[in-house]
Amino acid sequence: MRVLGVIFYATVLTLIGLVFITFAFNKIQPQEINDTLIYIQNSPNSRFIVGLIGLLLILISYSFAQLILGRFASEKTIAFVTSSGKVTIALSAVEDLIRRVSSIMPEIKELRPDVIATKKGIKVDLRVILKSEANIPELTSRLEEIIKSKLAQVLGIEEQVFVNTHVAKIALVEEKKKRETDKQEPTIPFGGYTRG
Amino acid sequence: MQAEESRTDLGAVRIHKNVIASIAALAAVEIDGVKRVGGDFKSGLLELIGKKSTASIKVEFNKAEEVKVEVPLIVKYGYNIPDVASKVQENVRNNLEKMTDLSIKDININIQGIERG
Repeated sequence: MRVLGVIFYATVLTLIGLVFITFAFNKIQPQEINDTLIYIQNSPNSRFIVGLIGLLLILISYSFAQLILGRFASEKTIAFVTSSGKVTIALSAVEDLIRRVSSIMPEIKELRPDVIATKKGIKVDLRVILKSEANIPELTSRLEEIIKSKLAQVLGIEEQVFVNTHVAKIALVEEKKKRETDKQEPTIPFGGYTRG
Repeated sequence: MQAEESRTDLGAVRIHKNVIASIAALAAVEIDGVKRVGGDFKSGLLELIGKKSTASIKVEFNKAEEVKVEVPLIVKYGYNIPDVASKVQENVRNNLEKMTDLSIKDININIQGIERG
């Protein structure tokens, strides 16, 4: 079905491309386009057919898009089988979990996890923005340990978890705070002068 | 949506797929650790227009009249997912068997997200 979807989109785009190319080579005159449009507009039957084709195209493209997106979404999961059926965990749920785990660490300003399930195990790529007071080697190793243990505990999987951390930025919290407090205390003009 | 039909002496009893989906949804949220039943594009649209929908729960019947249910879930943060999933499967199976007398083949759980409880 995914192949059909790709063929559908490719055909539509190719047709549009062909129309543009023919127009560029002067094979279609604006008058001809105009005549065709007038002909379609004048006949109620042809207007009905054109409307129907439009509706059909929208419906087909919507269903194909949903199928393709659904297929892509279903691929991004971790799955295991129980006696009652299959349990799949969306990788976005694992990313949610990692975000929540990191919220307990005050040194982290922002964390963006990207989880990929491979044959070797689960690969977690972390992009973190730290606060300036953080000790990077200590913090990153602690973060990796916490994530590994939490994933093993919550997901109950025995697969290996690989955590790669990328410190993207170090945010200067104190300076920002100072700037904010400066903004909050506006100086009163002529505030230092008193009546004699 | 199709309905599962069973014949009695007095006539036929049809159980709509929506009924099975509703039972599955209610049984799932009974379990500690389940935040809510997840959703997809269609159920999101239905919720936007104020319709509470179980459209995200997929119910299928096979030729042997066995039921296959797929339940998307949002789990509360801090709970063990396999544990929650197996409890949900068990509760959904028990409730479906108790209320409908249907033969349940698979109860597939799809964990879509984690939210704070």
